[in-house]
Amino acid sequence: MHFAIRYVTRYRYDGDVVDNINALRIRPATSGRQQVDHFTVRLSPEVRQHRHEDYFGTDVIEFEVTRSHRELIIDASAHVRTEPQPDPPSGTWEGLAVPGYREAGGEYLMQTDTAAGHPLLAELEAELADARTPLEAVLRTSEVIPDRLEYRKGATYVDSTLGDVLDVRAGVCQDFVHLGLNLLRSRGIAARYVSGYLYTRAEPLGEAGDRAASVEVDTHAWIEALLPNAGGEPRWVSIDPTNRGLVGECHVKIGHGRHYADVPPIKGVYRGSAESALEASVTMTRIEPVG
Amino acid sequence: MTSDPLLDGYRIPDGSCDELLETDGRPREHVRALLAALRRLGPEALTDAGRRRDVIFMQQGITFEVSGAGGERRDRPFPLDLVPRVLTAGEWTVIKRGLAQRIRALNAFVDDVYHGREIVRAGIVPWSLIVSRPSFARPVHGIRAPGGVYTHVSGCDLVRAGDGSWRVLEDNVRTPSGISYVLENRLAMTRLMPELFAGQRVRPVENYPSLLLEALQAVAPSPDSDPTVVLWTPGPLNGAYFEHAFLARAMGIELVEASDLVVRDSVCYMRTTGGLRRVHTIYRRLDDDFIDPLEFRPDSVLGVPGLVRAYRAGTVAIANAIGTGVADDKAIYHYVPEMVRFYLSEEPILENVPTYLLSDETVRRWILGRLHEVVVKPTSESGGKGVFIGPQASAEERADEARLIEAHPELYIAQELVHLSTAPTETGDGRLAPRHVDLRPFAVFGEQIRIVPGGLTRVALREGSMIVNSSQGGGSKDTWVLADGDLLEGLPPGLAAREPPRLPDVRYGGWHGQAQQQQQQAAI
Repeated sequence: MHFAIRYVTRYRYDGDVVDNINALRIRPATSGRQQVDHFTVRLSPEVRQHRHEDYFGTDVIEFEVTRSHRELIIDASAHVRTEPQPDPPSGTWEGLAVPGYREAGGEYLMQTDTAAGHPLLAELEAELADARTPLEAVLRTSEVIPDRLEYRKGATYVDSTLGDVLDVRAGVCQDFVHLGLNLLRSRGIAARYVSGYLYTRAEPLGEAGDRAASVEVDTHAWIEALLPNAGGEPRWVSIDPTNRGLVGECHVKIGHGRHYADVPPIKGVYRGSAESALEASVTMTRIEPVG
Repeated sequence: MTSDPLLDGYRIPDGSCDELLETDGRPREHVRALLAALRRLGPEALTDAGRRRDVIFMQQGITFEVSGAGGERRDRPFPLDLVPRVLTAGEWTVIKRGLAQRIRALNAFVDDVYHGREIVRAGIVPWSLIVSRPSFARPVHGIRAPGGVYTHVSGCDLVRAGDGSWRVLEDNVRTPSGISYVLENRLAMTRLMPELFAGQRVRPVENYPSLLLEALQAVAPSPDSDPTVVLWTPGPLNGAYFEHAFLARAMGIELVEASDLVVRDSVCYMRTTGGLRRVHTIYRRLDDDFIDPLEFRPDSVLGVPGLVRAYRAGTVAIANAIGTGVADDKAIYHYVPEMVRFYLSEEPILENVPTYLLSDETVRRWILGRLHEVVVKPTSESGGKGVFIGPQASAEERADEARLIEAHPELYIAQELVHLSTAPTETGDGRLAPRHVDLRPFAVFGEQIRIVPGGLTRVALREGSMIVNSSQGGGSKDTWVLADGDLLEGLPPGLAAREPPRLPDVRYGGWHGQAQQQQQQAAI
């Protein structure tokens, strides 16, 4: 599928601020099944952009607004083509123990947050206990989380812990992913946090053209789990615990990490005593393939 | 020796090598002159000098904080033992070469870990071990430090085993402290006990600040001949603030805090009364976590936002480099002799203390059966915290330790117990007794590796104790390296001991963080 993505973030400050320094991880990744045809970021106030690729392979843009200002606008546009993911491999539990798998899984096998002994966590673990293959455990993970937890904005914060999420039995996609990562890693399945965009309208391109195909979304998060592959290399398979099941062509990946803190879309600091108000919008538009 | 009032009751603990007496009870050749000088002075002179020492140290503020039994904090003078420790020129040559070799290997390892990972691909150090170290710094992946130097200042801890051989107990390539005590101790000893130095050729240590400054200037990414070097301290509340101020003054450089530094367009500047001034090298005395809130802990108010970007752009050298902690981790230590062979194609001159990683089940079983003999350390603690010494533990303490290990084996290492060597130490009544010691030599790495003769000797003042940390009843000694004629180095160039100009108190409001939570409603 082809998408045009527009991601606009506007910070308004109730006083003058200076030295506003930010790191953006918003550029769609280039991979075997995702191609970026176009990507630009416009900043207001206009300042120089510094790009680099971080440890996890995510494209990072950093900038600083040194002079005094009361508003900051980050306006990003991208054109991306995606393809569906191939059928997931269905290796056995034994496949998790081989050195090649442990090596490929690396740090994604290690927990970043724990809530040992939490009754809800124990319940969820019990639901996965009799999965016959790692693939079944992965797919069930994407089901049990939305079954047992309520999707509710405002129930959690950007830095809520796993314990917080389990206590309120609710959260947003970021929290669902953190919970899923914990469940999978505790079964020895390597799993990583994926940040990206999700196109949420399933119907085909309408008669009215581009406008009808535009949707307002937010940045999204899902999971990549490393599945053993009988007779082959283990492969990363994407699931979405907010929307159940395997990820399809509507998911546009930005990057991955061990947890949210490795791939935050926007992270920044500024100097000044002013408070800020944030408005952010992500618009995704399906566009006709050209040629 | 019983007729000697100085050495009355001098009994060497079993298994330890004593640095004063041979096994047959005769004084070792290289300490005879010192012993003779101490005898001439007599016990009264020693106790008297001890009193003068305490007064001077309290007046000069050379104290450290200790917790009393009731948890209250109080200052007490840093206990300088009045009997110097003496190393021969020959011994020192081995230590110096061994350390330089080890530091080169550690430096190569840091570079490798954040770049090609050759040592991982060669199957020597497991990648899973590296990425599980809390000190592995992902934000500096792919960044090459100016001049290729990462471990600018190191303070590895050496011990002398029962057979007299020197071994490395721990590496320390983050922000090792203690050099100020080396310099202060020497100064204090020349004032309190000048008689001891008579007729001895003790190699000087006071050129450390100039060696350090040269190294920091050598790595400065600057075409200027006069790069700006600053010392970044977390502030007066830090336990080592005395040393930060001391070194900044001795080097004649600015002592700065985070609010004095700012990054503009990938270049680091210092705020001064005359405006911004470019900074080329930052000698930082705080942990990675507090360097840059954009890359490390977002709640850090001590950091300089954008500093990692400036570092990535190669416009500023940071000493020690960000991410060096991965090399001195206690679990990584196990592999250092292999690093020497891998990176340098040399055999290690200084050996490790035999060390075991407890994540391996067979090894763990074996160690759990030998807990009464070994030492167990948490991998990510320092300063002697959490160290378990098997032979001194009760059955109950051993059972507790076994439970800790079983719960998180990857967080502990076990080591064979080294019977640290003993050195003659004044016991408070003017007499000498053997007490366990270690040695922390300080090396600086700029264009080349330079090591100040001697280093900080720490001494466990309690009889029989092998814990030398100052926080746990340890003291220190002036450490002498005797000079051979041909090894004598030139006198250090004089350094103006000027007070650095005070920085204006330029402070804006605090830093604010901005982050968006990822939240998207279910599809369809």
